[in-house]
Amino acid sequence: MFRRPALIFIVSFILLATANVGGGFFGDLLAPAAEAGWHLRIAAALVLSLIIVANLEGLRYLSFKWQVGIVWCELLILALAFFNSFGLSYEFIWSRLPFLITQGAFTTIYISVAAIAIAFFIALVGALAKLSRNGIAYGVSTFYISFFRGTPLLLQVYLIYLGLPQLGFIVDAVPAGIAALSLCYGAYMAEIFRAGIEAIPAGQREAGRALGLRDGIIMRKIILPQAIKIVIPPTGNQFIAMLKDSSLVSVMGVWELMFLARTQGRSEFKHLEMLITAAVVYWLISIVFELIQARIERHYGKSSLR
Amino acid sequence: MRDLVQRSAAFLLAATITATGAQVLWSAPALAGETLDRVMSSKTLTLSSDPEYPPQSFLNDQNEMDGFDVGVAREIAKRMGAELKIVTPAWEIITAGNWGGRWDISVGSMTPTTARAKVLDFPAVYYYTPAAFAVHKDSAATSVADLNGKKLGVCGGCTYEAYLNKDLVIDAEGTPEFSYDVTAGEIRTYETDINVLDDLRLGDGARLDGLLSARPTIDEAIRNGYPVKVLGEPAFYEPLAVAVDKGDPEFSTKIAEIVKGMHEDGTLRALSIKWYGTDFTSAN
Repeated sequence: MFRRPALIFIVSFILLATANVGGGFFGDLLAPAAEAGWHLRIAAALVLSLIIVANLEGLRYLSFKWQVGIVWCELLILALAFFNSFGLSYEFIWSRLPFLITQGAFTTIYISVAAIAIAFFIALVGALAKLSRNGIAYGVSTFYISFFRGTPLLLQVYLIYLGLPQLGFIVDAVPAGIAALSLCYGAYMAEIFRAGIEAIPAGQREAGRALGLRDGIIMRKIILPQAIKIVIPPTGNQFIAMLKDSSLVSVMGVWELMFLARTQGRSEFKHLEMLITAAVVYWLISIVFELIQARIERHYGKSSLR
Repeated sequence: MRDLVQRSAAFLLAATITATGAQVLWSAPALAGETLDRVMSSKTLTLSSDPEYPPQSFLNDQNEMDGFDVGVAREIAKRMGAELKIVTPAWEIITAGNWGGRWDISVGSMTPTTARAKVLDFPAVYYYTPAAFAVHKDSAATSVADLNGKKLGVCGGCTYEAYLNKDLVIDAEGTPEFSYDVTAGEIRTYETDINVLDDLRLGDGARLDGLLSARPTIDEAIRNGYPVKVLGEPAFYEPLAVAVDKGDPEFSTKIAEIVKGMHEDGTLRALSIKWYGTDFTSAN
């Protein structure tokens, strides 16, 4: 009971003293008038280590729910303090925020949702083709998966936007972006789907055959419903990754979140303001989608509830 | 069911490949006069513009494109009797050429180098930018000679990088002579000039000892409180031209005429003074 806090205290004291927290912002807060020196360095490390240990010990007496809540609040305050330390102009952020959200965040969400929906179907077809004994289907799907997983997404955006006009198809920026995103993520998700389908024991299919069911019915009614449950968490992961990768379509001049974050502050050399705001907006959107994912998981996870 | 899915997928793929192949064989080269016809019939001139280049082109308080280049484009559109529409693809998409009618013109302070002239047409030079060296305001450097052997920042793939690499070729008429006065110890390239300025502002020698960029960009940064100063005389003057896609000489002639008119009646000078505070429409 006694040894762990003492150990944490000693380790954090040594680390903080070495990092010289007293020399920076925290030292100013602790002793505004004091000169930086070894005594301030020791004092700052001492105070901070005490706070850390007291905080950890205090948290131990709380229930799980409270622990999670308080840890989140504390880390959030630290993150905000970090952002605040840049000395940003909040007035500027407020004046640009409405457009950043109505134009930027809206476009980002719209492109990502469209792309993930298409990617879902591409992945399903790709996975089935890769599992098939038909050589053509297998060849096409492995080539597709290999190419789109093996090249950078930015390059695929360029290939589709600049390459297709050479063939006479002039695609607009948004459709080109959605195409690139869904092709790229379709390739990743095809592998996830394949793994999900393969994870269903062969006995399930054999049992279906023994009952005289056709292969299509077995796939749709027995295999896929069970595979979906396995596939949802990594798919949600892919979606959140895509949300941020959708910023690559800004190279084609689509006014999405990242594009506006880079350009809105340019004329007044205040881009850090907008970049940090965009980071927060991306994060909030991801949180919403994490919650949606949790709901879907709960829906499909009903069968495993005890 | 599964077989059906696979078969239809294979069929779709085969059909796509065939159609694409046919398209390649049949696609005709762009017709002469196509761009001019499109602009005149739709009464819309579509401009591609970089939103990250104040004061040439940027997003203003109203979230609209504004700046010197945009002003020039607006005037060109007006003289063609067309509305100006603006799209904002990345620089490398503009310089890749083969615009396919997505936009008609780029008024983007582009230097008409030999390499670029193979991809795009440059009908008219509309102003000249002095390229200048800058250092952090705490720097001890007093002349550009002090930058020899130092870490210099520059935008990647632009004329300033070519100058530092000593392989700058500007083959536009009336380009003033220049000499290579600085040999950098290390050249660091960035996506845009703003990134370079951001690294120089961190402190003298923190990441960079100096930079080479457009004089107007440096001036604008100084006006916005960046702790930098211009060093010495301009390294070179860069003619900057309007760019159009290859394949429509009639459109190019029309643009050349309009820009010539804007030089002669002082419209360009007025725009330059409005946005830069100086007349950059002629070299020196």
